[in-house]
Amino acid sequence: MGVRRYTKMAYKEPDDMVFGHAKFPVLEHWNVQFGAGYVVPEVKVAPEAGTERSKDTLVKEMASIAEQAAARAVDIGLPAFMLEQEHVFQQTYHPDWGYACTLAQAEVLKKYYDEYGVRACLRQTVGDLRIEEKGGLRGSEYDNRIAETIEECCKAGASDIAAETMGGKSVLDYGVMRGDIKAILFGIGYLGSVDMEYFWTRAVNICSKYDTRPAGDTNCSGANTCMYVAGGLLGKDMSHTAAALARAISAARSLVAVECGATGPLKDCGYENTIVKAITGVPICQEGKNAVCAHADVMGNLTCQVVDCWSNESVFHREEMGGPTPAVWLQATGYEAALMNTAIQTGNAKTLRDLYTFTDMYRDPQGTLLAYPNAFRVGKAIVEYGKDIYLRARAAALEASKVMMEAYEAKLLQLTRFELDTLRKYTSILESLPMEAEIFVDQCMREYPRKIPTFDPKSYGL
Amino acid sequence: MALLDWAKKADFDMIFKRYNVIIEGPAIKPEDDPDVKKVLPKDEPFKSLAMSVIFGDTEKAVQAAKSALDRVSPLDVIEKGLAKGMDAVSALYAKGAYFLPDIMLSADAMTAAMQLAEQKLGRAREKKGTVVSFVAEGDPHDIGKNLVVMFLKANGFEAVDLGRDVPDKDVIEAVKKYKPVMLTGTALMTTTMTAFPRVAKALQEQGIAVPIFGCGGGAVKRDFVESYDMGVYGVKAFHAPKLAEAALAGKSWKDIRKEYPKIVGEFVAEYADRM
Repeated sequence: MGVRRYTKMAYKEPDDMVFGHAKFPVLEHWNVQFGAGYVVPEVKVAPEAGTERSKDTLVKEMASIAEQAAARAVDIGLPAFMLEQEHVFQQTYHPDWGYACTLAQAEVLKKYYDEYGVRACLRQTVGDLRIEEKGGLRGSEYDNRIAETIEECCKAGASDIAAETMGGKSVLDYGVMRGDIKAILFGIGYLGSVDMEYFWTRAVNICSKYDTRPAGDTNCSGANTCMYVAGGLLGKDMSHTAAALARAISAARSLVAVECGATGPLKDCGYENTIVKAITGVPICQEGKNAVCAHADVMGNLTCQVVDCWSNESVFHREEMGGPTPAVWLQATGYEAALMNTAIQTGNAKTLRDLYTFTDMYRDPQGTLLAYPNAFRVGKAIVEYGKDIYLRARAAALEASKVMMEAYEAKLLQLTRFELDTLRKYTSILESLPMEAEIFVDQCMREYPRKIPTFDPKSYGL
Repeated sequence: MALLDWAKKADFDMIFKRYNVIIEGPAIKPEDDPDVKKVLPKDEPFKSLAMSVIFGDTEKAVQAAKSALDRVSPLDVIEKGLAKGMDAVSALYAKGAYFLPDIMLSADAMTAAMQLAEQKLGRAREKKGTVVSFVAEGDPHDIGKNLVVMFLKANGFEAVDLGRDVPDKDVIEAVKKYKPVMLTGTALMTTTMTAFPRVAKALQEQGIAVPIFGCGGGAVKRDFVESYDMGVYGVKAFHAPKLAEAALAGKSWKDIRKEYPKIVGEFVAEYADRM
């Protein structure tokens, strides 16, 4: 399957988007559907430290996580849920471990489906082990093992495959640490998109041989790094307006997985997913207020706005007062999904959507950018230059800048001097960048390889 | 659309408060900040050297160093000019007036100018001590380690950067080779942070005692880092040089654990019980 670039929006109006509904729903194992008129809760739990010491201990840990989640789903009456397992290093590095762990979880979910009819699907998120300075991103030992593990997970019964690929991260990190928006654009928007095409063309091909959906890829390593470094309102490491620009750029990059054939639901920590859904119409997972165990973001309600699968992001596997964490956090996401599904069933979905959005729309510039009417605008800017991975990423950032400045000038969004200065400075730099990808890449290649020792241009065909 | 109507009517103060905007004081020049005034040299050429670092202007720092080296010793250029600028930058960062990119650009300016001074000196400036830094095996996330290395270098330490996804045995070999005053390990994930106790145990078995500044993303916590000998939980990357200085002054890993807030000189919520 070739790469199909998006030059049109899937939705005509932002108001057409609402949680639980996607233009192109996805059906997975045990009759779990995403975007088909209801929201599915998700739970994700990291194995306890030390269980990775052997295949046997890790497999048992995986089965335990699945068992505890499924039991709580039945205990509180959830109709359906998704269990996601983000791989630890060993799970992807040893394909046979990946197989055995997936099989153990799939068997537990099937048992509960057979016994109670609770519909549950299983996401396997492979680890991106590749390191540019250790063999490169293409064809290295790590790279080959990822491909093998994807195939093994498909064989073992994974309902879908997701990833959080690292393409462009060496340059992105440099940009974050030095406040260099050109490096952020090059790292996420250009290099990230190039690597996504490599990774997802292959992943889609593997999944197509099995009853496993190629789900999608979040820019966790890029835009979430920015969000994490930016931190809360008193954070002093990165401007929140800069983090918002990085997020807009990441939408142009995360779109590539869908262009390669990924179907969604897009992975939960992709805060850019609202933009990608507006463009493609594929269902999305999201995290927010029920992911406080993992991320302290500043838009906990807003991310519910158009979600199809509501996640807790990640939590240690341990005991809380309310039970083991797979149970506790599925309960939290399950009740939130139930609220959204109640709103859908009673005809109040759009009102609830707008309440979710409004609580965080002006709390922070990142929320302003991602509020669905504004996310839609950024999506339109991307498809206008849809065939050019550089120009569309640049256009996304410039539109994001307009969105934030308009909200600031309307006195709805408050900004600190640092946030405002950064926004103005970065916008001016983005505007001055060339309108030809070749010239931009040439400029970047003259600068970044000598400044960033871990950047391997060959990994991107440069 | 309801959102537009709500935006006109809602009292945002009842929904959220942007405290960063509320507490922001008037804009002042960095050199007018009282903490900067305390460390900023008054005389030339040192003031110009320090100011070029404060503004993170590599070109100006190099020019100032070239010009200063005709008049004063390379060591004075470094100690009385460039290092004072970096002290000012650290003060501005600690109080929230400067942000991470500012500090990185200042470090770049200082490094470029210092290289000129060291060329004239004919050798590298004597470093305070050596620290070895690594990212745990199986972990590709290195932004935290890069920050630690930058802060250590900017504060006069020799920072040996082993990179990311570093096998335990390479860390142990490096400790034996460089004999550092401190070892720093960073990890993002629960299952990669387990490298820290493995490394600590292996070092102990070989009779090596060195504080291991362990820090990282959401997974690494104080109770974990203090669950094995030699581990010191690092809260902020910029604390690393102060802890290394404490180790250099002879404090053991047990002392550093106990006195962490005192050593870094500020309130640290994670060590509230030891304030």
